Amino acid sequence: MDPFLVSVLTHAGVLGFIALSAYVVLQAGVFSLGQQAFFAIGAYAAGIATALWGWTLAPGLALGALGGAAAAFLVGLPTLRLKGLHFAVATFAFAEATRLVFEMARYRVLIDGMPVGPDGSDGFRGIRYIFENDIGPVQFLALIWGLLGIILVGLLRFERSPVGIALRMTGLDAGLAAQQGVGVAACRLGAVTLGGALAGLGGGLYAHMATYVEPAMFGPMMGIHALAYGLIGGLGTPFGPLFGVLFDVGLLESTRLFHGYRMIVFGGLVALLLIVRPRGVLDEAAVRWLGHQWRKAGAMFR
Amino acid sequence: MDFLLNTADGLLAGAAYALLAVGFALVFGIFGRLNLAFGATIMAGVYAGAFAHAHFGAGPVGAGLAVLAVSVLVGLYVERLCFAPFAAGAGVTAMVSSFAVWMQIEEAAMLALPDHTQPFPALWGDASMVIGGEAVRLDRLMPGIAAAVVVAGLWALLYRARFGLVLRAVAEEPAAARIIGAPVERLSSAIFALASAVGGLAGFLIAAADQQATPMLGMWAMTKGLTATMLGGLGSLPGAVAGGLVLGVLEAHLQWHLGPQARDLIVYLVLFAAIALRPQGLFGWGRPANDDGGARPGRG
Amino acid sequence: MIAMRSTAALAVLSLGLALLSAQAAERMVAAIACIPAGARLAYDCTVELVRGPGGPPIVEAEVELGADMPSMPMAHAVRPVRAVPAGSPGVYRARLVLEMHGEWAVKVTLARPFRDQDIVMLRFETDAVTSR
Repeated sequence: MDPFLVSVLTHAGVLGFIALSAYVVLQAGVFSLGQQAFFAIGAYAAGIATALWGWTLAPGLALGALGGAAAAFLVGLPTLRLKGLHFAVATFAFAEATRLVFEMARYRVLIDGMPVGPDGSDGFRGIRYIFENDIGPVQFLALIWGLLGIILVGLLRFERSPVGIALRMTGLDAGLAAQQGVGVAACRLGAVTLGGALAGLGGGLYAHMATYVEPAMFGPMMGIHALAYGLIGGLGTPFGPLFGVLFDVGLLESTRLFHGYRMIVFGGLVALLLIVRPRGVLDEAAVRWLGHQWRKAGAMFR
Repeated sequence: MDFLLNTADGLLAGAAYALLAVGFALVFGIFGRLNLAFGATIMAGVYAGAFAHAHFGAGPVGAGLAVLAVSVLVGLYVERLCFAPFAAGAGVTAMVSSFAVWMQIEEAAMLALPDHTQPFPALWGDASMVIGGEAVRLDRLMPGIAAAVVVAGLWALLYRARFGLVLRAVAEEPAAARIIGAPVERLSSAIFALASAVGGLAGFLIAAADQQATPMLGMWAMTKGLTATMLGGLGSLPGAVAGGLVLGVLEAHLQWHLGPQARDLIVYLVLFAAIALRPQGLFGWGRPANDDGGARPGRG
Repeated sequence: MIAMRSTAALAVLSLGLALLSAQAAERMVAAIACIPAGARLAYDCTVELVRGPGGPPIVEAEVELGADMPSMPMAHAVRPVRAVPAGSPGVYRARLVLEMHGEWAVKVTLARPFRDQDIVMLRFETDAVTSR
């Protein structure tokens, strides 16, 4: 398989995690501009675990996910009553504060005679677990998309479960949900925490894919992108954000022809797409239509 | 004495923030939507001024006119492409669209002027006035005065003139306004043009004071404008001004005592705490927390 | 459903691999210098590869140079180019064509004699390239 294609798909897979994390929060009826903070925490935590403390990959990634979840919980608690732009800017403020902490934090350890570890603005270099353990690019790609597959199945099941339906209800009409006895605060906190865990896991994978992270990568651009993937791909299904990532990456790669004008073309295409489909490509109507076609096709084979 | 000097410094810097916040507040206060391309619009205007200076030898006046004209034009482009096509309730979709256009505008500006910093003509050079025994640079003092004039003018427009009454009616009850025949689309464009002009003015004053323009201007303007708006209370014009001034003073004191990195970190922590504890703004002038103002993904 | 189950199985397999304890492996350290190459946004880069800090040069290497912007990962990623030997042992050369000026993370990826990757932060301007 073409190595560049492998690297593009690997990157897209990692982005899928932060896209899903923003999507989960959107289910609760609010939008977050700060998922990049949990992604960053996951990246640094997992990187420190494997590169500085000699952990293996799985526990390192788990630490990343846990760090993201814990931070998200701490953010979700004081912001329970906030909605709309208030919630969004609060998450943005937290994310920027987190980024600045990473700009100032230094934690270096001597490994084989070389200092390794986060070095403030100069970043965290040398997260070489996959190279040291001979994990090839295709294997890592399979790991990422395999994990995404598991998470997708989990989310699909969850959305059909009573808890998932309750969550969507609080997102669409919190007042009505509360009247039906749904614990609105718990749903919101749960969604935010789950989003943090997903972003943290994605961050850990990203750190190992890139072998290098620095605070500048985790700015508002990443957070707004996370939101955009879901908006573009569609909010009717967890496949939507993933589709959004692939669409975005695909569009970005195909506009390489427009060397130097890429963002102009790309930005324009996205704006036009949103006019035609304000709730993304795979919105609720499209998902219902697809489901209908699937059942029709299934009926034909009976 | 240091305290007074820092406060005065902060108020002057805050005046520029206040102008940025007013631009935000105009769009958000009236449409309930966040325009992520606002910073880029200002950057485009400022870059147009720098372009005029670099390629046509324009001085401060010529550059200023270029800044205003281009800011307004880009603002109208953003309004038509990212906001007008979406029905009420599709706030997040409009916001994401404006994000896409932000990237467009930034790339276009950087294609026109690729270097990392562009010289920008100074308005008052190093001239300063003596106030109360201290020499105050004119390029720090004038934005403060300009902000005061602009805010006073806007207040008069929105609360004293008939035009402002129609604007506010369109904002609060667009359906009713349409029924009575108010030209909602034209007014929507007018508000964006006004917000862009105010933002462009802020950008011009800042670039003239720094005597340079950099690609970071867009993100910087967004961050300061948004922070100031939220501190002062979302949706309130006086709040935007107050928020800008508070931000300026806070930054000046923090920078003096703790340096620039800690300053930014603490400002963000303060912002988070302020929104969580007093969502209606430090002075209580803004919208309450449980009003999302239509800022949700569209129901397409 | 089947597709999902098999990707999940693949993931579990890879996770299993991930749980194997780390083995110490060879390490590459890269040093890069770039100069503007005449054409706009094009730069000629010379990279020197050694085994470990202060170690012997890595000869007959299969090495690629890529670049990415840290502030916007992947948005402007430069497709990796193969670096060719430049005369001295351990020294290779490649031409990078970027999308804009500014700070870039130059990625040196080694495939032979062993797999490794190093990142060097550089600032690319019209007239010069400096380390950050």
